[in-house]
Amino acid sequence: MTTPESDELLGTPKAEFLRSVRDALGRGDVPPAELYPRLTDTVPELEEQATQIRKRLEENLPALLDKLAEMAALGGWNVHRATGVEEAIGYIESVVRESEATNVVRSAQDVFDAVPVDAALANMGLKVTTVLRDEANPREALREEIRRSGIGITGADYALAETGSLIILPRKGLSRLVSLVPPVHIALVRPEDILESMDDLFLLRRLEYHQRGGEMGSYLNFITGPSRTADIEMTIVEGVHGPKEVHMVILG
Amino acid sequence: MPEIKTQDFSAASVAAMADPKLRRALDRVASGFEVARLARVAEATPEVWDAWRQEARDIKAHTIEHLDYYLDLLHTNVTAAGGRLHFAKDADEANEIVAHIARTRNVKVATKSKSMVSEELALNPVLEAMGVEVWETDLGEYIIQLAEETPSHLVAPALHKSKEDVAELFSEKLGIPYDEDIYHMAATAREVLRDKFMEADLGISGANFVVAETGTLVIITNEGNGRLCTSAPRIHIGITGMEKVIPSMQDLSIFLRLLPQSATGQRITSYVSMITGPRRSEDEDGPEEFHLILVDNGRSKMLADPALREALYCIRCGACLNICPVYARVGGHAYGWVYPGPIGAVVSPMLVGLKKAKELPQASSLCGACREVCPIKIDIPRMLLDLRKKTAESPDPSVRSAPASERAFARVYAKLMSSPALLRMATRFGRFLQKVERVIPFFSPMTKDGKWIRNAPVPPLSKWTRSRDLPTLPKQTFHELWEKGLSSDDS
Repeated sequence: MTTPESDELLGTPKAEFLRSVRDALGRGDVPPAELYPRLTDTVPELEEQATQIRKRLEENLPALLDKLAEMAALGGWNVHRATGVEEAIGYIESVVRESEATNVVRSAQDVFDAVPVDAALANMGLKVTTVLRDEANPREALREEIRRSGIGITGADYALAETGSLIILPRKGLSRLVSLVPPVHIALVRPEDILESMDDLFLLRRLEYHQRGGEMGSYLNFITGPSRTADIEMTIVEGVHGPKEVHMVILG
Repeated sequence: MPEIKTQDFSAASVAAMADPKLRRALDRVASGFEVARLARVAEATPEVWDAWRQEARDIKAHTIEHLDYYLDLLHTNVTAAGGRLHFAKDADEANEIVAHIARTRNVKVATKSKSMVSEELALNPVLEAMGVEVWETDLGEYIIQLAEETPSHLVAPALHKSKEDVAELFSEKLGIPYDEDIYHMAATAREVLRDKFMEADLGISGANFVVAETGTLVIITNEGNGRLCTSAPRIHIGITGMEKVIPSMQDLSIFLRLLPQSATGQRITSYVSMITGPRRSEDEDGPEEFHLILVDNGRSKMLADPALREALYCIRCGACLNICPVYARVGGHAYGWVYPGPIGAVVSPMLVGLKKAKELPQASSLCGACREVCPIKIDIPRMLLDLRKKTAESPDPSVRSAPASERAFARVYAKLMSSPALLRMATRFGRFLQKVERVIPFFSPMTKDGKWIRNAPVPPLSKWTRSRDLPTLPKQTFHELWEKGLSSDDS
């Protein structure tokens, strides 16, 4: 094993590489005459824009929920709008019943405090595992459990009305694999998760990045419908490497 | 670099046009992707779509003009996120970086998601020679890896294969019964590759975009293999061209709208994965190491040529392939290298050298459809003309694409067209020949109704009339009619 330091000189040194780029452009080491406008945004400016976004979202919430449901369905989600917690759990139970799964994994997110799925699924005789590392559940054991499971259930960090996409960020209790490895994925979306567009999302992410002193988090994933391919004769097949069946339960 | 066959374009396209199976496959592309793209343009409205294209073009133009600055910023931010950014001036250097990482980290199995740049570098043989098992995991790439072929389309690499071809291939290589059901074949690939994802030490991906502001790599996929390659193994290496950098995370909105809609007509792909450094201590999973390799490999030649610089704006959506009348007839393999179609006819000559790829700029009717559909408004026909000019004017005879007869003809034509007296003389001489032709039976098969020349006797005209007729000279020219006061009843 080598230390990262011994990799320091892999490839062409940065200074030399950048010099060859400058030579190709035919100029010396000068910064852009006009810096790209977005890169000069300050945190207070981004905060101001974020405030505007939140205000707009609040004012248009019912219409945005409709739009999310419409676009998510077009994107390949099975969309279910639940008026209450019981109805949401009832829907999840029906999906589980049809799937013939025996094992279920879920992420550890706040939404499960409001929608207690564990007891309901345990009553149906399923093994439910929360993907949260501790001494009893090391990373490898959780990974095996995810692989064995027929269903993965997650919340959302955001949901985009523009494209019907679920947005997932990594953090403690939120594995990248719960929404990816089991053949069925169920996502719970709360009204407060909704964003109108990708523009909203990227502005909020930039704001958080700068507020946290340049920390983006390792991962951000858009999920829009099932995994699919059209690589053989342009015929669409769902569920090639990721889930074949995806459900979006909108709480509201 | 993979074997270069760009010099065989003419012969390869003749063979391709004679292949009925390829015809059917190419028809599916034209009726699939392009029709879906048009529906998306209509949905956005053409005005909004055009505004998006202009915005995307402006962002790309700004970034490429200041590429050194943004690469430096990217380096700072990839490093700050705990990742490593490596620069590679050519294919050998890029492959050596991957080999070094694989060697020093004791990598046994690597999974790959689709990366055109890794095809350009011919990375797989390098890893395989070290004893590393390499698995392509995009279904199309997996098929062509098993078949030991190269991609024939930027987005759908195995489109030239029929379902029967794939069934035979799976049966032969995987030792399973022949089954041409497409759903079953996709399930087989899932089964085989699922184990490899979990077993792999190294995941290799390309990148559709790299964000300088945050050091983020962005990949756009439908199958989920990109997510698995970048989540399950302990090391992730992203490899892409240095031109893929964009300034700010907020620039992604426009590109995430344009790329999927232009490529497959989807509003958005099933997955968009944005990766910033390795997993953090609080994360449940993800790779322990994140490397990004940016390659030049000839791109600085495009950068240095103002006439061809905009080829670096390309986001590899494949829309220009899907609309191109030449691609629709010859398919991707005829282009002889990694990048086919109109954009390939610009990029390949710059990356493999004009000498070997001098025929590619001719592989266009200059109809302009590629420019119309390009989400970045890249003026491909203008660049093809520029490359044709370069091949015509090169002092090196081996770069010049036209045969001596064609060049001689062009010189004579230029003389005639710049001298009214000479043109008049030539016209009279031509008419004399046409008269002679009518009275000497030997020549008569050459024309049709006296109005068309069917078979010209000498090259390069004889080549031209092989598939077309040439109009004969009229009895009177426009000049002659004009002098008579335009009163002739004859044309």
